[in-house]
Amino acid sequence: MKKNKEYELTKQDFKQINKRSMFGFQMGWNYERMQGSGYLYTILPQLRKIYGDGTPELKEAMKTHNQFFNTSNFFNTIVTGIDLAVEGKEGVDSLDTVAGIKTGLMGPFAAIGDSLFAALVPTIMGAIAATMATQGNPTGLFLWLAVNIAIMVFRWKQLHFAYKTGTKLVSEMQGQLNALTDAATLLGVFIVGALIATMINIQVPLVAHMGQVPLVVQTNIDMILPKLVPACVVGLVYWLLGKKGMTSTKVIFIVIIFAVLLSTIGLLGKI
Amino acid sequence: MSFTIVQILLLTAYSMYNIYDELQMNSSLSQPVWAGMIAGLIMGDMKTGLVIGAALQLTVLGVGTFGGASKIDANSGTVLATAFSIGTGMKAATAIAAIGVPVAALLTSFDILARFANTYFQHKVDKDIENFNYKGIERHAIMGVLPWCLSRGIPVFLALALGQGVVKTMVTYLNGDLQWLNTGLQTAGATLPAVGFAILLHYLPVKKHFAYLILGFTITALLSTLFTSVQTLGAGLSGASKAFTATFNALPMLAIALIGGALAILEYKKSITKINAATAGPAASSDDEDEDDEIEDANGEVDGDEEE
Repeated sequence: MKKNKEYELTKQDFKQINKRSMFGFQMGWNYERMQGSGYLYTILPQLRKIYGDGTPELKEAMKTHNQFFNTSNFFNTIVTGIDLAVEGKEGVDSLDTVAGIKTGLMGPFAAIGDSLFAALVPTIMGAIAATMATQGNPTGLFLWLAVNIAIMVFRWKQLHFAYKTGTKLVSEMQGQLNALTDAATLLGVFIVGALIATMINIQVPLVAHMGQVPLVVQTNIDMILPKLVPACVVGLVYWLLGKKGMTSTKVIFIVIIFAVLLSTIGLLGKI
Repeated sequence: MSFTIVQILLLTAYSMYNIYDELQMNSSLSQPVWAGMIAGLIMGDMKTGLVIGAALQLTVLGVGTFGGASKIDANSGTVLATAFSIGTGMKAATAIAAIGVPVAALLTSFDILARFANTYFQHKVDKDIENFNYKGIERHAIMGVLPWCLSRGIPVFLALALGQGVVKTMVTYLNGDLQWLNTGLQTAGATLPAVGFAILLHYLPVKKHFAYLILGFTITALLSTLFTSVQTLGAGLSGASKAFTATFNALPMLAIALIGGALAILEYKKSITKINAATAGPAASSDDEDEDDEIEDANGEVDGDEEE
């Protein structure tokens, strides 16, 4: 296999990635792969520089980066920076590692980002702004705006920092890519397991009546194993996807139709 | 009651910008207080706008978007409540309860629709990758902006253009006769990440690391159930007795990730030892006490590989 020549990000690249991340990252957000297309969009020009236009390597890389991804949009460029440091150095051989790193990092960064920027800052600044606004005073609003602009500046800077860390990581781990891949994909698989248990919030709301005694089905399922329903759904979809002639589009429509049907007859519901 | 065309268009444009700002820049201009002030300025009464915005801001205080879940759309609720309050002389408090909150709740469904619609563009990107259509990838990733902005723009525009009576009728209808579709779509929205995870699992070496999939799932399933139960218990106790002041948090995902990280480090060390033992062979003289282990590993490697 031909070895890609190493590619190092330039100032121009950083600017381009930051711009795309700040103004377009979440536009493609969808239920199937969430920020999947957004992630690819953010780094597409850099991928083309690393692999070269029209090469099978580029196609493989584009496919890898168009998969499920979801993290805090305050921290996504940290993952991007580490990713591109590894890919720029190791090329197409590192795609498994990168997929593992992405999956491993998105969970924790989503948690930190959401609790800091989607909960903590809006709670504090919102309370201040709202209290002042009740008296007709807009000062608090501008204070909030100033804080969020400061946060934006940090978001712009973090990519460079993450890229440097990633580069250091790769050069230290040089020649041990297989071991790193193994560890990164292990972490990825582990996190997917954790995501299945937390991000698919469905249950069986059915209450069966056995004579006089109401039987809450979900309670019985929980006695077997909590989150069994999400696990079964993922297993089922995984199996469906492996079938011949099955595309993810078809699977999506199957899932939507079944979810609406099962919800209407009261067998499935959102938590 | 009447709005001028300019007012309707400005309010619609702002509500479309609202969701864009919330998803991308997060400048705080997409928060209810700002929505109140801007809608108030457009309607010519900033103070009423601020009061309504503040009330709805406090209502959703601490409600963040977690992991892409749809949250109550207090911004559009504020825009409409402010517009109707100033435009019709409705009392601010009435506008908040009669329009702000119901509209905010109703628009959650439009948020869900936008997230569904974008799946279409995601698949367009899949096709573009096959054709090396770089411009297409970029266009289709960005085109999600249409469903997003229209999900706010259309309802706000219609509500302002059709007026208050129609808004009330629609809210009742969607929460009444069409309730089944509403809940059905919400259930579907909650189920769909399963597709993303399943696709991801097809990309990761899941057969090799299957044990870790089970570990990650089970540890998280058990702990999250435990944490949620304790939170429910705490809420119940503090409701029953004022003396109970302890608060309990949800399961921190970072902790779960750290467990996974620890397992990954162990695996990394294990395979490094294997590689060293394989390349250097037993002849390599390492001066630390690991020597024995390395030789054992080297001997044990053959068996290990067969097992895999």
